[in-house]
Amino acid sequence: MTFTTHFSHCSTSCNDNSKLFSSSSRSSPAIHYRFSGSRRLCRYRINSANGNPLKALPSLPISESAADYDYDDNVETGDSHSTLSITVVGASGDLAKKKIFPALFALYYEDWLPQNFRVFGYARTKMTDEELRNMISRTLTCRVDKREDCEQKMNNFLGRCFYQAGQYSSEEHFAELDTKLKEKEGGKSSNRLFYLSIPPNIFVDVVRCASLRASSATGWTRVIVEKPFGRDSESSAELTKCLKQYLTEEQIFRIDHYLGKELVENLSVLRFSNRVFEPLWSRDYIRNVQLIFSEDFGTEGRGGYFDNYGIIRDIMQNHLLQILTLFAMETPVSLDAEDIRNEKVKVLRSMKTLQLEDVTLGQYKGFSKGGKLYPGYTDDPTVPKDSITPTFAAAALFINNARWDGVPFLMKAGKALHTKRAEIRVQFRHVPGNLYKRNFGTDLDKATNELVLRVQPDEAIYLKINNKVPGLGMRLDRSDLNLLYKARYPREIPDAYERLLLDAIEGERRLFIRSDELDAAWALFSPMLKELEEKRIVPELYPYGSRGPVGAHYLAAKHDVRWGDLSGDDS
Amino acid sequence: MASLSSAQYRSYSSNSFPPASSNGHRHNHRLLSFSSPIPRRSPPVVLCLQQSQGNSRPNVVLMEDGAVATPVNPAQKKEETVKKLEDGLLSSSGISTEELKEAAGFDVKENESSVSITVVGASGDLAKKKIFPALFALYYEGCLPKHFTVFGYARSKMTDAELRDMVSKTLTCRIDQRENCGEKIDQFLKRCFYHSGQYDSQEHFAALDKKLKEHEGGRESNRLFYLSIPPNIFIDAVKCASSSASAASGWTRVIVEKPFGRDSESSAALTKALKQYLTEDQIFRIDHYLGKELVENLSVLRFSNLIFEPLWSRQYIRNVQLIFSEDFGTEGRGGYFDNYGIIRDIMQNHLLQILALFAMETPVSLDAEDIRNEKVKVLRSMRTLRLEDVVIGQYKSHTRGGVTHPGYTDDKTVPKDSVTPTFAAAALFIDNPRWDGVPFLMKAGKALHSKGAEIRVQFRHVPGNLYNRNIGTDLDQATNELVIRVQPDEAIYLKINNKVPGLGMRLDRSNLNLLYSTRYSKEIPDAYERLLLDAIEGERRLFIRSDELDAAWSLFTPVLKELEEKRTIPEYYPYGSRGPVGAHYLAARYKVRWGDLGIEQ
Repeated sequence: MTFTTHFSHCSTSCNDNSKLFSSSSRSSPAIHYRFSGSRRLCRYRINSANGNPLKALPSLPISESAADYDYDDNVETGDSHSTLSITVVGASGDLAKKKIFPALFALYYEDWLPQNFRVFGYARTKMTDEELRNMISRTLTCRVDKREDCEQKMNNFLGRCFYQAGQYSSEEHFAELDTKLKEKEGGKSSNRLFYLSIPPNIFVDVVRCASLRASSATGWTRVIVEKPFGRDSESSAELTKCLKQYLTEEQIFRIDHYLGKELVENLSVLRFSNRVFEPLWSRDYIRNVQLIFSEDFGTEGRGGYFDNYGIIRDIMQNHLLQILTLFAMETPVSLDAEDIRNEKVKVLRSMKTLQLEDVTLGQYKGFSKGGKLYPGYTDDPTVPKDSITPTFAAAALFINNARWDGVPFLMKAGKALHTKRAEIRVQFRHVPGNLYKRNFGTDLDKATNELVLRVQPDEAIYLKINNKVPGLGMRLDRSDLNLLYKARYPREIPDAYERLLLDAIEGERRLFIRSDELDAAWALFSPMLKELEEKRIVPELYPYGSRGPVGAHYLAAKHDVRWGDLSGDDS
Repeated sequence: MASLSSAQYRSYSSNSFPPASSNGHRHNHRLLSFSSPIPRRSPPVVLCLQQSQGNSRPNVVLMEDGAVATPVNPAQKKEETVKKLEDGLLSSSGISTEELKEAAGFDVKENESSVSITVVGASGDLAKKKIFPALFALYYEGCLPKHFTVFGYARSKMTDAELRDMVSKTLTCRIDQRENCGEKIDQFLKRCFYHSGQYDSQEHFAALDKKLKEHEGGRESNRLFYLSIPPNIFIDAVKCASSSASAASGWTRVIVEKPFGRDSESSAALTKALKQYLTEDQIFRIDHYLGKELVENLSVLRFSNLIFEPLWSRQYIRNVQLIFSEDFGTEGRGGYFDNYGIIRDIMQNHLLQILALFAMETPVSLDAEDIRNEKVKVLRSMRTLRLEDVVIGQYKSHTRGGVTHPGYTDDKTVPKDSVTPTFAAAALFIDNPRWDGVPFLMKAGKALHSKGAEIRVQFRHVPGNLYNRNIGTDLDQATNELVIRVQPDEAIYLKINNKVPGLGMRLDRSNLNLLYSTRYSKEIPDAYERLLLDAIEGERRLFIRSDELDAAWSLFTPVLKELEEKRTIPEYYPYGSRGPVGAHYLAARYKVRWGDLGIEQ
């Protein structure tokens, strides 16, 4: 099989989206592979942008691979590859600078990007290519564990970055972008990825313009959108409807960057590839599940966007709920995106709509500690003085299916708390008829096993077990079976954005949110959110840097739960 | 890292000095049944009272993270104990408040009970290396009662001073508590005495009795004999001790060490002979593996963690491996060993005991009889070991880096044509509903490449694993494994499949870890300390009952006889190697792969 025929086969299959997934990658006994199917085949014997063999290829029986095709790194010379153009719409924004460009560079540095890729910045600001490169270069860093040639690679990368100024709602300007893209693509088959890093009110405009004027004629066109995906069921449905006027479901990549976190990815691996966990994964053994997110800083002058949404929309309805569904879903038929998302939707649809009485709200107030004054939420100049937007919320959710009936899933999310973390805590039931009961004192629930997946910072998995304190007596204590990622894996863990960008490039949709999933998620939260706003329910105030409002404890107590992160034997 | 235990501590008074009964066992039950608030010896004993030193410093456990796990206020607790003891005991046994107070550690009156520990065979190796140091450690930790005396008894002529000299050479202090060590050693040695005599002489034991009485000074006397002597003189010593040196007013207990016979018949004969002079309750058959920290912890892990018990059956466990290895040979002391071989020396007792603890059903309580009942049930459900399920080996000499390590038969104390196995592997099965079909593999050997004892539990593979293609062709290589490392470097770890961080989807096996040395800074007590203390307190949980011993022998005796009748030649393996390859084939027959010889351990 010659390369060209192989390639042409691919380029058709790439447009053919998900149908090919399973057949193409299932057959390969890969040690090191990524999930996606069709894209992989296409880049199969291609060098990466660095001239190294492209990563993540399945070990199909063509071993000569990259070495036989000595492509040079000159993207301007016309060879027969397809090209990849990534357009960051809203290139001068914060997210673009802090996350998207660095993630793209990291992918480039690690040889994950194909040979012919280019990055375009698009925004309203007038800027030259040079200015963009300058801006980007300030935030690029190299992976700590592989510093060689960093400087050179940065320069190579920046050489592939270009800028186009334009209005977000101007088809004309997008047409200009298209011209520029075509010019760089040099007539090759082109794949285009648009990353919308812009405020939600201009989503649809940009999608319209990009779709109508700057879609790829020969390859795929995909659009990554960031939260917020609406404020409630209606606005979300409206947004989806508008997006679908210009894009098919397969083209929309709704990003939830929590799904790109290492330990969230690992959640399924833990469950489904370890015999010791799956039998325990049900109401028979699990007493409750806690999903905890906390930040140790407030809005710090950037409350404008936040105040319109609040912590429930900002963190719970998306990030925590997504983790919950991954945690609770039934075993999918396969690891293919559609299979996984089908299972997630099933969980969401089995859930009880959140009730107002199962929610506690909080808002941080000013607090001075050690002579330093920490401002309250409403002290933020970008926040209305009378705002009752919650900066903290705790909620109890239930999944009314055979596996989880009656098990409380508690969520807690807050800003300006005493620590910064995101974790999943699984508290097991107590041992029935425990022989060691008298060694535990009166509260058996304090002595239960607990599995903790710490998503950030300091990724770790640990299982709290009861253990005999060594010595002549018989004293028990809870110690941890530990896996601290830092100790086991010295390699830097990639940023969530890297994984998600790469997945979008490869057409892997597993970690992106499907429209029906989004609908189901909103349906759970919308009624309660509306009620909150209609009744203008005042949040409980808590001091900046504290452990949050005590209401969270009462909510937990109501469902016989004790927060694992505030129990004293865990920091 | 708060400790979960309620404030309980070791108190002998609760059940180990039954004032008017030498039948400690029955007494135990009576005591325990009516007074639940009394801190019980089994299991929740924790801290030793510093009685003998009049020192009330509690035994403090330091956690590595700086937390101090000592929930008791000793003085206050003592009072409570006395109060409870009064409440509990006065009604039934009519002894005075004073006596109770003394028993709980108060210096009220001189008329208290005493404990005399007689080490028969005091000049032997075990006595020097283990028994005296363990007694000292117990004394150092304040675990011995106020009035205790240690007697050495052996044939050699020796003065008290000479004995003390000999003992003192092996005493060390716990590394985490070195203060006053010298002083405490001196105090301890002052309580050590020597009496020389023949092991089969009633007269000499009567002389010992006289001496013991002197030291007991009219107090109630409790006597513990530790028989650290060759098996052929067990009975003689028991006879003499029992008839001429039993305690008149307290209990008399006898600790016996392995070997408990060489097969069913000789073991039964030994038991029968012992029982001529002792009741079952007086016999403490020691298996020092049962005193190891992680063997003790095995039951805690199983029965106090919800996440383990559901997995503890044939449904989830594919096989269990019990592995013992030493990295040295007989080194000139093969005389005893050659008569027994590794199967009797390690497997039939240590490994089988661990197996029984591992596999038993949940006992009714943690009381000794309940646990031992369950262990016997396991042994009786087991299939008698067959010759084809055993592989034996013997080490041969090996030269490495210019050093020649001698083979087993190069040992001068071993016959040149000895076929005694120094290595054995065996597959055992428990034919009960929980374990039907699950191979329990044992492996024990001398002169191997490493030194250790561990339990490995290999779980089944995940049915319909979604990640199958990430694992390669052998699904069994990617199963979970729980490893309990008994020695050295006590640890518990659970091998899990985990995603290697990064953009790909690569799985690897990593460990959920608990390494004792990082979590618990305190030195872990030697098994002998625990067992001696248990014997003093009348706690029989870790000692082997006669019916247990019978059941254990009946599993191994046929195969041992067959091996000897057929003079089966062991497979030779080089000194310092990983043992004979036959062990792999035995494992392979039952679809098992040894967990300790994989690339990753």
